[in-house]
Amino acid sequence: MSVPEGLPRQRRGIAPQMLGRYPDWNVLEQSRHWDDKTREVVMKRVESPPHILFFTEDEAETLKAYCDTITYQYTEPRIPVLSFIDEKLLEGRLDGYQYEDMPDDRDAWRLVAAGLEYSARAEWAAESFARAPEALREDIVAAFADGLLRGGPWEQLNVKRAFKLTTKHICQAFYAHPWAWNEIGFGGPSYPRGYAAFGADHLLDRERWEPKEEFVLDPVQDTKARGID
Amino acid sequence: MHRLVRRGSLAMPKDNDSPFLLDQHKRGLQNLDRMARYPKTAPVDLAIVGAGAGGLVLAQRLARAGWKIVVFEKGPFWDPDRDWVSDEAGSHPLYWTDKRIIGGSDPVEMGKNNSGQGVGGSMTHFAGYTPRFHPSDFEVRTRDGVAVDWPISYWDLKAYFERVERELPVAGQDWPWGDPHTYPHGPHPIAGAASVAWRGALAHGVEMRAGPVAITNGSFGNRPHCIYRGFCLEGCKVNAKASPLITHLPDGIEHGVEVRADSMVVRVEVNDAGDRVTGVTYVHEGREEFQPADAVAVCGYAIESPRLLLYSTSRRWPNGLANDHDQVGRYVMVQGATQVAARFPTELKMYKAPPPEVSSEDFYETDESRGFARGFSIQTIGPLPIEWAAHVLADGHWGAALREYMRDYNHWTVLGVLCELLPAPDNRVTLAGERDRYGMPVARFDYSLGENDKKNIAFGTRILEEIWEGADAQETLKIDRYAHLVGGCRMGFTPEDSVVDSSHKAWGVDNLFVVDGSVFATQGAANPALVIMALADRCADLLKGKRSTAAA
Repeated sequence: MSVPEGLPRQRRGIAPQMLGRYPDWNVLEQSRHWDDKTREVVMKRVESPPHILFFTEDEAETLKAYCDTITYQYTEPRIPVLSFIDEKLLEGRLDGYQYEDMPDDRDAWRLVAAGLEYSARAEWAAESFARAPEALREDIVAAFADGLLRGGPWEQLNVKRAFKLTTKHICQAFYAHPWAWNEIGFGGPSYPRGYAAFGADHLLDRERWEPKEEFVLDPVQDTKARGID
Repeated sequence: MHRLVRRGSLAMPKDNDSPFLLDQHKRGLQNLDRMARYPKTAPVDLAIVGAGAGGLVLAQRLARAGWKIVVFEKGPFWDPDRDWVSDEAGSHPLYWTDKRIIGGSDPVEMGKNNSGQGVGGSMTHFAGYTPRFHPSDFEVRTRDGVAVDWPISYWDLKAYFERVERELPVAGQDWPWGDPHTYPHGPHPIAGAASVAWRGALAHGVEMRAGPVAITNGSFGNRPHCIYRGFCLEGCKVNAKASPLITHLPDGIEHGVEVRADSMVVRVEVNDAGDRVTGVTYVHEGREEFQPADAVAVCGYAIESPRLLLYSTSRRWPNGLANDHDQVGRYVMVQGATQVAARFPTELKMYKAPPPEVSSEDFYETDESRGFARGFSIQTIGPLPIEWAAHVLADGHWGAALREYMRDYNHWTVLGVLCELLPAPDNRVTLAGERDRYGMPVARFDYSLGENDKKNIAFGTRILEEIWEGADAQETLKIDRYAHLVGGCRMGFTPEDSVVDSSHKAWGVDNLFVVDGSVFATQGAANPALVIMALADRCADLLKGKRSTAAA
């Protein structure tokens, strides 16, 4: 069981897997308070996620499963993380640096796709990474995180840095999405409205429109207690 | 005697009408239709490479003195209404994201965190902290026996600090550290997240103060008040946070500054003897153009300024312009900027109010009992969700744990250190084999920490953890990182130890200047923006009587 017991089901709007701490918070209902340019950029993300054009079908199958494992998205509704990464790589909107012992980000992603397939088959005797059971995929990803994957495509990468690079891109896509803001209770774009209430210890700690948290849990203690970290 | 600097609207700067040239209801510049357009057939008085903190202050000052100036900027000419968004991922175009190769034993990641593009430079997306250097920062060799002294002192810059603080304007409490001083605008209100940090600091005996931030906190021409939405690092759509795009360029345009945006300077050209520059070659819409100029100021920051000089080779300068002694590109510095986040039972929403809220310089100066030279400052930070995810990833969480830590976002708040790391010759910019879309070799930046640096970061990190303990935090979470980029064309005493002299003039070239963060000889534990602007202001004062053309 890798979701804490009692975590509320989303009641308004969409959260990934319909779980979150702010079940009545739908940040998209606030969009009329956003400036036009911001609304256009954010709504496009929700309404028309990009098609996969950079990755091949095989790469995309592997990498979707990888993104699902990193973001623990095993059921719908899912944020289509790989679509946004694909678009970033296709357009060459990279982050401004490349480690001397790493290839270009675009090549690194293809090598990670090939490497996950290679390790799933060669070391874990799976049919493929994407079709392996979730627990097995998590074992492979745990080895990836620790830089322990070897052989085949991994020889062309600094494995730990490849994990860092790909998880960074995955979180850039996931936490750019309003569904994730619903899950975590983020207020979202706030221009031109802004905030006047930002004290923690008095009545004015929340604007009337801001979400109410309905489930509180210290994640450090909980993930330790449940042995999922 | 009463304070010289008065608060609020009484403290409007002289000789800079920028805040009045803006429109209260539009964020873009309103006088672009009056911007000068200089011909490419005749030399201008000064070509400036880079429209950031250094370049635009220099341009505005010298334009006021009658100079004809063209500023070249690789990125776009921003209109915040049209181009900027109140959204983290959508702010990617603000950052310099062209490839750089990073190496060394402690490579420094580039892009969003430390590099900007477009008119306004990195200050369009800096957090807003504008501390001064301390007097000690200019003489660390003499005082502490490390690094080098600057060829100028705090007292050479003091009047410029004051003038620029009035122009930004800087808001904060009276400042007790370094050379004690006051600020033109009073402190912003302290949000819940920052007040928790302050409580912890008090419990631990650490003094904190609100500010200093370059964010309006009162009437200031046509610039609105801050709305405390927390998107400082995404470009201020409000025009409350300062960047030279709004604090200096409007006035510069009024006095004859031309900005050529989307124009990447690829070479500074020299005469046959190589003792004078003749202008700059730049790429605009895929075509190479040449702009003759009587002088050139390189203001491209710690990576691009060295890259441009290294690539500007000639018969006289086979190893790069002004590089007789292999100094160009060396001594690049970053600050150790480890951040420790803390969890509390109540929601804090650390992104509300300006992320730069309160800071401490209690540990700024050398204290021999700590076992290392120089020190660090402490500042609050308020990462938005994507940046917060980087903290959670850095702490080693992914999968179900990542999601659970992220769901807890509103319960965390962050303190960071800025550790003064010492300059080292091998922390340097060189040219890599790969070429960019302008045909220029990509920059390579190697960086390795020294022993003093590691001790400083470890000590600072421990203090952050103790402050959170004092605040009764339930949990903490750490990310090791760096911030800021300075050095690479440092200011010094001789051609053998530096690239420019105390007046920013490049050694060996009569009319070439470097006016940006790359001239820093050391970096203190202060964010560099204000210091860069003050240096540019001083440089303009030194130059303004020396215009070489008598042309009208």
